[in-house]
Amino acid sequence: MADSIKDKIKYGLLKGIDVSGFKVLDPPVRLAFGEEPRKQVGDIAKYMILPILFVLACLGIWTVMGPNHKTKSGEVPTPAKVWTAYEDNARFDERQQEKAADFIVEGAEREAVLTATTEELARLEAEAATLAEASDAVAATAKEETEALLAPLRARLDALKAEHEAAEDRREAEMNALAAEIVAGQAQPSALVDLVRENEILEDEANDAEDVIETQIKDILSDPPAEVKAAQMAANRVADEVQHYKKRIDILTKENRNVKEAEYLAKAEEDRAQLVAAEDPKKAVREAKSIARNAERAEDSKTQTYPRTATIFWQTKRSLATVFVGFGLAAALAIPLGIMCGLNRIFMACLTPIISIFRPVSPVVWLLIFQIIIGAFFPDPEKHPLFVTLNDEKWFGWIGNPLAFLQTNPAMIFSACTVAMCALWPALVNTALGVSSIDKDHMNVAKVLRLGFWSRLFKIIIPSSLPLVFAGLRISLGVGWMVLIAAEALSSSDGLGKFVWDEYQNGSSQSFANIILACFVVGIIGFFLDRIMIFLQRLVSFDDGSATA
Amino acid sequence: MIPSHAAHEKTAPGRRRVPGPWHVRRLHEGDTNPVNPMHIRHTMILSGLLAGSLAAEQLDVEKDELKFGFIKLTDCAPIVIAKEKGFFEEEGLQVEVIAQPNWKQLLDNVINGELDGAHMLSGQPIAATIGFGTKAHIVTPYTLDLNGNGITVSNAIWEEMQDNDESLDTPTPKHPISADALKPIVEDAKADGRKLPMGMVFPVSTHNYEIRYWLAAAGIHPGMYTSTDLKGFTDGDIELSTTPPPQMPATLESGKNVAYCVGEPWNQQAVAKGIGVPVTTNYDIWKNNPEKVFGVTRDWADENPNTLIAVTKALIKAGKWLDAEEDGKLVNREEACRILSQPNYVGADFDVIKNSMTGYFYFQKTDKREMPDFNVFFKYQSSYPYYSDGVWFLTQMRRWGQITEPKPASWYHETAKKVYLPEVYMAAAEHLIEEGVLTEDEVPAADFDGYKPATDEFIDGVVYDGKKPIEYLNSHSIGNKDDSSLTAK
Repeated sequence: MADSIKDKIKYGLLKGIDVSGFKVLDPPVRLAFGEEPRKQVGDIAKYMILPILFVLACLGIWTVMGPNHKTKSGEVPTPAKVWTAYEDNARFDERQQEKAADFIVEGAEREAVLTATTEELARLEAEAATLAEASDAVAATAKEETEALLAPLRARLDALKAEHEAAEDRREAEMNALAAEIVAGQAQPSALVDLVRENEILEDEANDAEDVIETQIKDILSDPPAEVKAAQMAANRVADEVQHYKKRIDILTKENRNVKEAEYLAKAEEDRAQLVAAEDPKKAVREAKSIARNAERAEDSKTQTYPRTATIFWQTKRSLATVFVGFGLAAALAIPLGIMCGLNRIFMACLTPIISIFRPVSPVVWLLIFQIIIGAFFPDPEKHPLFVTLNDEKWFGWIGNPLAFLQTNPAMIFSACTVAMCALWPALVNTALGVSSIDKDHMNVAKVLRLGFWSRLFKIIIPSSLPLVFAGLRISLGVGWMVLIAAEALSSSDGLGKFVWDEYQNGSSQSFANIILACFVVGIIGFFLDRIMIFLQRLVSFDDGSATA
Repeated sequence: MIPSHAAHEKTAPGRRRVPGPWHVRRLHEGDTNPVNPMHIRHTMILSGLLAGSLAAEQLDVEKDELKFGFIKLTDCAPIVIAKEKGFFEEEGLQVEVIAQPNWKQLLDNVINGELDGAHMLSGQPIAATIGFGTKAHIVTPYTLDLNGNGITVSNAIWEEMQDNDESLDTPTPKHPISADALKPIVEDAKADGRKLPMGMVFPVSTHNYEIRYWLAAAGIHPGMYTSTDLKGFTDGDIELSTTPPPQMPATLESGKNVAYCVGEPWNQQAVAKGIGVPVTTNYDIWKNNPEKVFGVTRDWADENPNTLIAVTKALIKAGKWLDAEEDGKLVNREEACRILSQPNYVGADFDVIKNSMTGYFYFQKTDKREMPDFNVFFKYQSSYPYYSDGVWFLTQMRRWGQITEPKPASWYHETAKKVYLPEVYMAAAEHLIEEGVLTEDEVPAADFDGYKPATDEFIDGVVYDGKKPIEYLNSHSIGNKDDSSLTAK
């Protein structure tokens, strides 16, 4: 009895692993249930441990090679630096959240946060001062060292220059003497030409010799020592934190919505007193207007939130939303069109030229076209019902809108359409193939049974073409995700693409690491999207799907 | 109430608030004399009546949640500072500041309403208004900064220039450096059948006009725009093409450009990476030249007159904060650099931004010079939108053929007046003077006509008088010249 339950669990797990496509996990599960331990251990070693070792080896090579490849934009960041970049981005996100929280915190809690923040600021300022001093000290020592290194070089350069100048003067005197002789008719004119030539060659040589030392000096000057950079970076980091805490205090004491509300109400109260005391009717009207205005502002303040700043986490969510919208659009178009193509050869013939011409077009071109065509539908995006609805915090005044955080805008629609346009083709072609390759026998049975069009569609055509349709959709999603990053970079729709582009434009010492970080984020998300599609594909497949995995 | 509020009816029903009495008279197309001293006096009297209740009072803004765009350059500072230091907040505005990928997209986003306003090149509102490139009526009430650009040449060109002119062959050559030493190199290349490739950031950017000015001053023809050649290569001794600022250092490195004109931090970046040498800044090409402006569409300005004044107030405060000095030191710049170095703003390293923003400029690693006026945000009454600046850009567009037909002098003045809104600036300034934030001598007088006095502080010493555009055009040897009969028209 117990054995059969164990078997059930085992085969359930194995089936799950199979369907989700994580075949690597198969041997450990079997091993856990004691099935052929020797074989499983061998498989684990071959298919799990070796790949892990390989990846680790790659990381190792990267760590060693990176710093050795010096580009003009700085060193290639090591994995450790990329991890630091991740932490910095996480901290940046955290800061935005802190600010947003400071903006809405109320009453005694606000006082408490303010006290804590002030204390933390004092501590940080002290730390920043110490670090700045330390950084200066390191820089001063380094400067001394460089000077010590440079002094002999400079001395040598000066000596060389003096020597060359003396030689040049000497040669010049020689030439003048020879010229005088020629004028006097005592020497061959060609000798002077030779002398001038020789002089030029010697001068060039002298210049080259000087250049060598000058380049050495430049090289020493151009590369600040690593410890100076590290000290500066440490100081900068704390200084950034100080800046952040100063801003927090500003928010807590001035910008906080509850503080503002109280201020407006106080103003309205003041105006009310003046209205009561008013003797001049005009003044009374003015005061009344002012009361109304301040009351309205107080009311507005209640619901205000701190303006968002794009962080990598929010941008990732937005990218995911965009890719799913685009993918949804693509599927909604591709599947019906594909079915029709598969069913009707004339329809297929009509569509073929369009598919063949538009399939290879670059996403960048599509983006520009969509910006122009679809842009025309949103002359004033702020008031367009689509965006108003999508960005409304509360639908009908009470249902929380789960999409409001995305801050949909036309740029996002353009990106989604570009994704749809590029993701359309694989799904379309695969669906058409799936439908046209349905077993003839099935269709004949349908004819014999005199099934209507709709029952044929839903009972035979769709079910039997599903595996290929899903194979197409899987490719589509992969293409869409790849295209999205380019579309976002170009349309500046907030997302991972814009993150990469902004980082490239920032050109700071962190940018390179951030771009590599984005590379991993995109890759890992792409991997999971693909797994989801494999999972769906296997769910609808009759075979084990290994052919398409 | 001030007369001529006809446009109130235009205000969309959704916009609830009624503009207050300090509301600025709205300008209509063809209104060629927007500075009406009577009007300003009128406003002053009214605001005088309201003093007390108005002091430190927020304007009755039509729209309080705004989105502004910017390009990752240090001269977006007033917008970023107004947000981070809470100056927008003080005016009751909630502002989002969003980086844009390039100038074209930024302008498109302002036009299509995605953005309420943006950090723009001085030439952009003018070019859009006259229809060179994307056509749209853009206006500006505020000049964000003066100077701030440089011309950088590659190391190889710099060495050749040093060979041509011995006086440059020292670690600290005398400035300003003209393009005279560059001329033989250009000619040699031309003799080989090559045109040296150079870069600027946008066809209507100050950088384009500055590098053209610098080259032409030394007799190098930078190329003309014609109705069919929109790249501006015609007749040129060199090839000047568009490259986005952040890519500039990369193009210099790869040899795609041998020289470029760009804003900061991209010249300092070339020094830091050791790939080029800045030879001159635009401070030497034209001392205290206008660089960027804050632009909105005419329609937006009409719909949100009080909001525009409130935004201008916040920007003035930010400019003043940026230029605050104590004992001749710019005291707030370090904090400004700290803010600008955040990844969502300019994002370059703090040290790189600091190099140019704190009053110094590195021409080479060994050549650090004091340049207190490299970035001017507020002093010298610089943030006022001068008509004469608009006229200068128009003359340059005509000089290089972006404006293909001759225009009479009056057209230059009318166009400048369509784009620049000093009356909005002055309304904002009056509020700030009343609130005690500004003193009267920090902004031009109320009856100022908007034209700076004539100046010869250019690299070639040619006199520019904003009131005489045609004469100015004709005083240059390279570039379009117009019939002098147009002067009187």
